[in-house]
Amino acid sequence: MGINGSVERRTVLKAAGASLAAAGLAATTGCGGDGGGSGDGTVEIRFAWWGAEERAKRINQSIKLFEKKYPKIKVKTDFQDYVAFWEKFQTQAAGGNPPDVFQNAVAFLRKYDKRSVLLDLKSQVDAGNLDLKNFRAGVEKVGEIDGKLLGVPVGSNTMSLVIDEKVFKAAGVKAEQGWTWDEYFAALKKIHDTQKVPGDSGYFGIMYLYDLFLRQNGKAFFTEDGLGFEETDLTEWWQDGYNRVKAGIVTDPKKVEQLKPKSALASGDAASEFTWDNFTVRYATEGDSSYGLAPIPTTDGKETGQYLGSLMLSGFARTKHPKEVAQFISFMVHDPEVGKIMGYDRGLLSTTEQFDAYKPTDAPNQAIAKYEADVAEAGLLGTITPHPAGADTVEAAFLRVAGDMSTGKTKVSDAVKQFFSEAKTALAT
Amino acid sequence: MGTAVTTLIKDSPPDAPAKRPGRPVAVRRRGRRENLAGYLFMSPWIAGFLLLTAGPMAASLYFAFTDYNLFDSPKWIGFDNFTRMLDDPRWQKSVEVTAKYVVIGTPLKLLLALGVALLLAQSRRGQAFYRAAFYAPSLIGASVSIGFVWRALFSDDAAVDRTQSFFGFDVGGWVGNPDWVLYSLVALTVWQFGAPMVIFLAGLKQVPKELYEAAEVDGAGPFKRFWSITLPMISPVLFFNVLLETIHSFQIFGSAYVVSNATCGPADSTLVYTCYLYQKGFKEAQMGFASAMAWMLLLAVALVTVVLFWSQKRWVHYEEASR
Repeated sequence: MGINGSVERRTVLKAAGASLAAAGLAATTGCGGDGGGSGDGTVEIRFAWWGAEERAKRINQSIKLFEKKYPKIKVKTDFQDYVAFWEKFQTQAAGGNPPDVFQNAVAFLRKYDKRSVLLDLKSQVDAGNLDLKNFRAGVEKVGEIDGKLLGVPVGSNTMSLVIDEKVFKAAGVKAEQGWTWDEYFAALKKIHDTQKVPGDSGYFGIMYLYDLFLRQNGKAFFTEDGLGFEETDLTEWWQDGYNRVKAGIVTDPKKVEQLKPKSALASGDAASEFTWDNFTVRYATEGDSSYGLAPIPTTDGKETGQYLGSLMLSGFARTKHPKEVAQFISFMVHDPEVGKIMGYDRGLLSTTEQFDAYKPTDAPNQAIAKYEADVAEAGLLGTITPHPAGADTVEAAFLRVAGDMSTGKTKVSDAVKQFFSEAKTALAT
Repeated sequence: MGTAVTTLIKDSPPDAPAKRPGRPVAVRRRGRRENLAGYLFMSPWIAGFLLLTAGPMAASLYFAFTDYNLFDSPKWIGFDNFTRMLDDPRWQKSVEVTAKYVVIGTPLKLLLALGVALLLAQSRRGQAFYRAAFYAPSLIGASVSIGFVWRALFSDDAAVDRTQSFFGFDVGGWVGNPDWVLYSLVALTVWQFGAPMVIFLAGLKQVPKELYEAAEVDGAGPFKRFWSITLPMISPVLFFNVLLETIHSFQIFGSAYVVSNATCGPADSTLVYTCYLYQKGFKEAQMGFASAMAWMLLLAVALVTVVLFWSQKRWVHYEEASR
């Protein structure tokens, strides 16, 4: 270098400048791509949900119908499994860029309302863009929190007990409306003794089931802003659970882990399992016994504590297209054709238009419809337990700590303490 | 060039400029311009470093002392995150799992790397091919896809499980078994011994042949030759590998995350440190706590590094020193 410096220097500086400009350019284009409208008034909204491939197929079919009816609205879609969905959503929401409309659940309503992420759909109802009529059994109330409409239910579901009918029959036990926990556990023992199969796959880790038990006893899992039960309550629930694992009445939790993603009930390693009624379709495809829905055991011989829960559609508070979001939600919950396409994938269809349009032809789906009708007829449906912000983290902690406890890795008393400490942190943030 | 010129100026005696007044100024000016050009060239990387590395690091140091949930502005809480961490049974579990992984995985990997390097150091036909073949797993090792392959291999009723069961030793797949799954991660890292192997090979090539010849004349057997010549001679390389692999092991994330299907389970059995950090930060939105964890990890790795450096005077043999 050096001797013919001036020419070289200029080139050098130019090159350096160019590389800087290129970097700057890359940065600006990186920030671009703001979804929105184009010149002809066409609007694009982003819709995201969690679920399996099957749900995605049905939703995409429904969206085609929507886009035909509203040619000026384009829907861009994205889906993951449950855990990945909420991780991504949280990051997007923190960055101010979540999807315009998305699937939601009751556990997340307060959490994201507190953080001003959720669109209050009330004004859209008033403006006539969102129709809130014809919802079944008052299920639209699930999305109403603190005077706001934060989500519109797409389906209804309730906790249920799924049983292996063949095993129950062979053991000579019967599940009847109003049976008590004592009767239920006696049945499990009989199944274990006569059929050499554990009776249940691990009831003590399911937050929504423990909620029902607490409700039967005049409490609930949550209050508006915290836990609705004491350490002594949970100690008893988990100690009994642990003893039942030891006695072989409940499946060895290690075995349950190993079987995942298959369920212990479907693999024949348990004779019953508590879960949401709309999840039950999986057992028929996974296992080769016959599976039925049975009543939730009671404390007083009558009350099950059940209520209707639901998946919902919610909007982003700062979406550029609140009207289109409302129109999309309205279409997705009311259009009869969409009802036929979706079926009971996300629970019993929430509006009468869709519910009447879809007539299930297969046994599992017919059973779900009958189950919810029976529960409603028996007058067992109550108001949903409130879900404070952080309920989702609490649910995950409940399941995990219960798992540690049931394998004997953690003492019951320590597990209870740990859960309460984690819950306190989760509900405070 | 720039640096050469400046050192030249620095090295000249104080009275030198007086003899030829014009030149050093011009040289200096040109040097400055060249520096400017140099900085302009580097600017994308400097900007990248400041914006993408230094900035976030400073932010994370600040967050470590706050309660921050990504949405509300951070609240200063002093050392609370750190004290909470020490009381947290899951944090303790993550330390335990990580320590186990490092202590078991790293020596195994290095032993295998050294063993294979010793074999490959001998001149044989097809040596280049074998080197490439043994190195290959390290090239693809960091990818997510290999995590999926591992998961598939070690699942219930998959290849490994069937082979095991055939010999009457059924654990129902390593991936689903809390007692076994960590060893599948260890197996994954051990399998990627290529990088330290290449470094060992380079080290082995440096050992002077005369030493072996002299030892042979003195009647030393292969083991004695390895123990008294090879090992001391490659000890700097060994030290380098131990250091690098240990630091690397502490940071395990990808394989644990993918093999456990994003759960770090079953039953927290693959809850390595970074996995827990990730859960706290991105699942539970406790960014303050997660940042504090990150800085704790940095401190721990720094401490281990210091200990290793301190220990080297006991076992690392530098040729210069012995001359």
